[in-house]
Amino acid sequence: MASLVGAFASSHAPLMARAWEAVDAARRDAISKTFSELARRVVEAKPDVLIVVSPDHWVNFFLNNLPSICIGVGETHKGPPEPWLQHLPYGSIAGHPEFAAHLARTALDEGFEPSLSHHLELDHGFVIPLWKMGIDPLPPLVPIIVNTIEPPMLSLRRCLAWGDLIRAAIERYPVNVRVAILATGGVSHSIGEHDMGRIDEAFDRECFEQFRAAGREPLLAFLEQRLEAAGNGAAEMRNWLMAHSAAQGKGFELLGYHPYPEWYVGCGFAAWNLGVR
Amino acid sequence: MMRDYWLSKLFFDLQVPAAADEYRADRDRVLDRYPLKPGVRLAVVQEDVTALAELVNPYLLRFYFVAIGKSEDWFLERIRNTRSAAQDEVARG
Repeated sequence: MASLVGAFASSHAPLMARAWEAVDAARRDAISKTFSELARRVVEAKPDVLIVVSPDHWVNFFLNNLPSICIGVGETHKGPPEPWLQHLPYGSIAGHPEFAAHLARTALDEGFEPSLSHHLELDHGFVIPLWKMGIDPLPPLVPIIVNTIEPPMLSLRRCLAWGDLIRAAIERYPVNVRVAILATGGVSHSIGEHDMGRIDEAFDRECFEQFRAAGREPLLAFLEQRLEAAGNGAAEMRNWLMAHSAAQGKGFELLGYHPYPEWYVGCGFAAWNLGVR
Repeated sequence: MMRDYWLSKLFFDLQVPAAADEYRADRDRVLDRYPLKPGVRLAVVQEDVTALAELVNPYLLRFYFVAIGKSEDWFLERIRNTRSAAQDEVARG
């Protein structure tokens, strides 16, 4: 039987790659240390499969075909198309088609209807956290794209249900593999809107506390009330909800919070302590 | 939520660097390939951020102005004005 051995979350601000030097050295060092700690936790979990939950920033999908959720079931995934990420060592990223297909089958059996892709392109939402963590070699990746870009989006409650489903699929997988999940995106930020560049630190800090201490219903109530006002990028907290419920809502630990206005994002990083060895 | 499909498609397509190069070199030729409504095309030509922001996804809007070479400051100044424009619209009824 497979087991969930780690649940993690990381912001993925593009300007970490495009304008790293815009932030002063002390704060760059601080966020680098957070990435190092996140990497240490991921490596320590020794995952054989890494599920990465991220949005698609208009790379694989467009208005003519816009799934709410898509599982990458391919043997390989293509690296990022962004010209400013071509220096990264991610031209082709290995997938785990057997586990991905099992996840898809489990979803369909349980009344979830994901789209499937046999060849996704993984944009900055996927690769920036992987790159900044510097995990080498990467475990095989099973990408899950969640539409957090263009309304209407999955309900917050449905995201929790997806996390439950992911956990169930792991537990039912009949092969002894270690599976971890990494959610990317968030926390507060606004892109291409009138408040672009605004970071809502109060929201971010309260959000972390809700993940740490609140039960599902209070967490949902908080997010339903406050998420939209935290900027369109905050919609990516849906991905965190999936990791949170996969971890059964327990053990949330904030690894770092770096609200860097130069990068427009309240960058948050977390791990859920699962008590697994 | 209002989306202009062909305007969105134009912005989406310009994410490809070669397409953006062609657009910067001969905008009208590229625009002729998209069945944009006259008012929408005019907003593109006039680089009217406020009007365009009403019609496309905000991420695509930002991609577009990066693709055509506008500076971040140029875009921020205009996108931040879209709020007051929207408020003015409400005030006018």
